[in-house]
Amino acid sequence: MTPEFVLGCIILIVGVIAAGFPRPMTYLGRLISLEIPAFGLLLIMLAYDEMLALLTFIGVTAISTFVLVRAIERKEAAP
Amino acid sequence: MEIAYPVGLVVFAAAIIIGFTALVREKDDLHRILLTDLAEILALVLIALVATDLAEALILPGLVVGISELMAVSEVYIAKEGLRAPQEPPFRIEVMDSAPGILALILVAYGIVLSGFTGGVIAAVGAVFYFMCRGHIEQFELIETVSGYAWAFWIGAFFIFMFLPGYWFFAVMIAGGAILIKVMAKMSLVGTMRGGGPDV
Repeated sequence: MTPEFVLGCIILIVGVIAAGFPRPMTYLGRLISLEIPAFGLLLIMLAYDEMLALLTFIGVTAISTFVLVRAIERKEAAP
Repeated sequence: MEIAYPVGLVVFAAAIIIGFTALVREKDDLHRILLTDLAEILALVLIALVATDLAEALILPGLVVGISELMAVSEVYIAKEGLRAPQEPPFRIEVMDSAPGILALILVAYGIVLSGFTGGVIAAVGAVFYFMCRGHIEQFELIETVSGYAWAFWIGAFFIFMFLPGYWFFAVMIAGGAILIKVMAKMSLVGTMRGGGPDV
C-alpha cells in the first residue's frame, strides 16, 4: 500500500462520481471530468511501476480526447 | 503488497457500480459514448491491479481496442445523427498557430527514443497535433505503403527470434523500430479527420 496507490484509489472513486454525475450536464464538462479517473488510473500504474502502460495510456488518452471532441463539436454545431 | 490487491478490487467494484449506474440512467447517446470511455478506464484499472509484466502486456491491446472502438462508435454516431462539420472553426486558439512545430518535434523525438508501441503512440500524438493545427496535404498511399513495409519488418524480426536466437538484439531493434513506424503512421491518420485538406 504505497501512497501513490492510496491516492490513486481515492482519485479514481472521486473521478468516477464526477464523471458519472457531472453537475452542469454538458458534454464538455463530462469530457473534462473524465480526466480525473484517468489520473487515478495513472497513479495506480505508477504505484506498480508499469511505465510502458502509463506512457501509452497518456498518448491514447490524448488521441481519444481528440476523437470525442470531434463528435462533440459537430453535435454542438448542429441546430 | 498482499493487502493492496483486495483493497484495489473493492475500490474497483465500487467504481464500476457507480459508473454503470450512471450509464444506465443516461438517456443521451453522446453522453453514453463518453461514459463508455469511463468504463474503459475502469477495465484498465482491473488489469493494472495484476501488477506484473503481464499487466503491461494486457494493457497495450486493451488500449488499442478501446481507441478503435471509440473511433468506430463516434463515427457511427456522427453518421446516424447526420451531423456535419461546422462551416468555420468554432474557436480560434492562439497556441494552435504557434506551438505545433516545436511541440510535434519534441513529441516525435521522444517517441523515437522510447521506440516500440509506446514510442509510436507518443510520436503519433505529436503528428496528430501537427496535422490538426496546420492542415495536411500528404499522400495517404505513401503512408499506407510505409506502414505495410514496417509490418513486414516486424514479422521478420520475429522470424529472427525463432530461427536465429543469437541475434536477438538485432531483432529487438528491428521490431522496436518497425512497430514505432507502424503505429505512428496509422495513428497520425486520426489527425486528418478534422478536415482542412483534400477529402479523406
